[in-house]
Amino acid sequence: MACRLQQVKRLLNLILLISLIVPAAALLLIGPRNAENLPPELAKDCVIVDYWEKWTGREAEMMNMIVDDFNRTVGRDKNIYVRYVSISGVDRKTMVATAAGVPPDLAGLFDGQLVQFAAQNALEPLENLATAHGITAATYKPVYWKGCTWHGHLWGLISTPMAMALHYNKLIFLKNAAALRQVGLDPTRAPATIDQLDRYAQVLTQYEPPLIAGPPRIKCSGYMPLEPGWYIDSASYFFGGSLVDVATSRLTFCTPANIAAYDWIRSYSARYTPLSISNFRSSVGAFDSPQNSFLTGRQVMEQQGPWMANTIFNQNSSMSQFLVPFALEQHLPRVIRPFNYQWHVAPFPCAVPGLDNVTFVGFDILVIPRGAAHPAQAFEFLAYVNRQDVMEKLCSLHCKNSPLASVSASFFRTHPNPFIEVFDTLAASPNAHGVPQLPIWPEIHAELSTATEAIYLLAESPADALRHAEAVCRRKLDHYREIDAARQAKQPNSQINRQPFAP
Amino acid sequence: MTRSERKNLLKGLAFISPWLIGFVAFTAIPIGLSAWYSLCDYPLLQAPLYRGLENYRDLWHDAVFWQVLRNTFYYASMALPAAMLVSLGFALLLNTPLRSQFVFRTIVFLPSLVPAVASAILWLWLYNPQHGLLNHLLACLHIPGPPWLASKAWAMPSLAFMSLWGVGNTVVIYLAGLQDVPREVYEAADLDGAGPWCRLWNVTVPMISPVIFYNLVMAIIGSMQVFTVPYNMTQGGPQRSTYFFTMYLYDNSFIFSKMGYASAMAWIQLLIVLGLTALAFWSSRKWVYYQGK
Repeated sequence: MACRLQQVKRLLNLILLISLIVPAAALLLIGPRNAENLPPELAKDCVIVDYWEKWTGREAEMMNMIVDDFNRTVGRDKNIYVRYVSISGVDRKTMVATAAGVPPDLAGLFDGQLVQFAAQNALEPLENLATAHGITAATYKPVYWKGCTWHGHLWGLISTPMAMALHYNKLIFLKNAAALRQVGLDPTRAPATIDQLDRYAQVLTQYEPPLIAGPPRIKCSGYMPLEPGWYIDSASYFFGGSLVDVATSRLTFCTPANIAAYDWIRSYSARYTPLSISNFRSSVGAFDSPQNSFLTGRQVMEQQGPWMANTIFNQNSSMSQFLVPFALEQHLPRVIRPFNYQWHVAPFPCAVPGLDNVTFVGFDILVIPRGAAHPAQAFEFLAYVNRQDVMEKLCSLHCKNSPLASVSASFFRTHPNPFIEVFDTLAASPNAHGVPQLPIWPEIHAELSTATEAIYLLAESPADALRHAEAVCRRKLDHYREIDAARQAKQPNSQINRQPFAP
Repeated sequence: MTRSERKNLLKGLAFISPWLIGFVAFTAIPIGLSAWYSLCDYPLLQAPLYRGLENYRDLWHDAVFWQVLRNTFYYASMALPAAMLVSLGFALLLNTPLRSQFVFRTIVFLPSLVPAVASAILWLWLYNPQHGLLNHLLACLHIPGPPWLASKAWAMPSLAFMSLWGVGNTVVIYLAGLQDVPREVYEAADLDGAGPWCRLWNVTVPMISPVIFYNLVMAIIGSMQVFTVPYNMTQGGPQRSTYFFTMYLYDNSFIFSKMGYASAMAWIQLLIVLGLTALAFWSSRKWVYYQGK
């Protein structure tokens, strides 16, 4: 009996074990697989280039058009197939994948991250490949080329850039023509100086009584540095200052020009009160919505990039079809087209006389992470994107200006933004500035944002807030340099890869 | 150990091997590595560089570290007792026999099923100073509502208040505990002439004290790790007044690329949670009553 029981137990054990092993083996053998998502006609020896990008939705669709064009033409000839993958948090995922040794062949990062990645030896230097493809400093507008290089190496090439300009509502200007003229301002022109901007803003700002108590509510804001507030760090440039000395990479937060810039930001809080500004900002909708303050006429002037034309057209197309429908406007002469728009674009005013076309530029950048499986093939795609015709197609689709030095007349003629020449002029200007090139810029930026908050909430004076922020950031930068030196001494192999990938 | 015992042990280990392998690969080794990284400068994309206790020394001198620690404790000091009291209150109410009891229970539990990010968006609208329901209600009473999330004074209490939205899970655990209290104990209390308050304080609370203790420990751990809601609602502002320990840890690891520093923070967080939990366990000897002991 006991022997039989033993046999049954053994059998049960065996059944249990098999019931675990068989499904596990089946899962491994015939279980779910990654969808390769490759066209069946692809040659077997075709090199697959994995391209991770931040864009989703319409922007991704547009980039996919470029990818498809490449796969159909250059890709087919050179046996390369680019596979576009939309990835949220592409910077973090690229960082982790690179650290794990399985990076994508191409990644689309933000401009402020380029130096951070390059300083950690996470990117392939591209100068040799670029030169072999005829891409040199002369190919780009200077500010964009400078943004792609660091410590003498080229770390990436631009996919789409931007330049910031003042957008203003012409119709509201004209509706307030009498009031503007009364204080000596021209309702048919954009402000040319910061002083004029402030005066325009004061005339155009309208209030309504508070619901219960407190300061009057802002019904319509002439101008407000915090709306949308994306370029608040660039305020210094319009006062002739800079937060970082480009030549020495030293922090210069506390120069008189920078303090004046932040004092100007503070002046709006002092005029309207932080509570009124906060109430106004919470009463307007998100950027890409019909409740956008500029689209509803609640914000008369604001800083924006060239894509604003797309947003306006998609969310409140009446602002861009003032006289005739868009389809008809395309056939009008270029000089007449701007009259079809309720809004206009001009360089953002500057406080320093003689300093023209000051702007802040940004860009999305394509990089080849260190350890990428197919860097040469990935660069083929990079070079393709940087071809003038392709770049202009992509920038038109994304409604952005071109980073290239040479821009065709057809780009200006067919671009969905009728004011694209303004952005192009700004980007080509010697007074165009990009994100400061510091390996710890994200940390510096976080500290600076806290200081800016203290300033516009009137918690600290600009001089105090900037002095404190500079002291903290300087310590962080010194600390970084100290560790970097220690690392270079102890791990010479960890130095930035000085040997660019050979073409 | 006999041969058959050894055989049984091997069999047992074989059966739990999937979990064991997973635990070693995805928990034990990362924990060990994070301890090592906390002693290194490790920017993730370069090899770790041993620096001894430098990260801990740097943290000691880091004003933001102390601020996030203060913020986290401030939040916990509001959210933890509020959640404990409100969830117990709900559980007591939902334990009273009613005809539509299940409807009320469902209503209380439902918000805890809403994803944290969706809740954050919903509460952003409720707290909106201009269009928010909260300020609209206050306006009906002729009280001017503050800019809840844009004010340094109100942002943290607003987040703590919002945390009550997700008490459904705790309520369910309390309810299970309440239903486990023997009827005869209440009957005995009734016979002794105990009123409702007396019954609650002298019967219900001691009888469910192990459940309260469990919820307390979970709430301590939860409130020290708050991340998703403030990350989506305030991004730590205004002026870092809602910048929490875990947010700073995340920023250090994935935004600033300082994995070693973040690992040191994680170990400090573990020690704080361990210390608080140990304190709760130590105090439990004085107020937690286990039946049959």
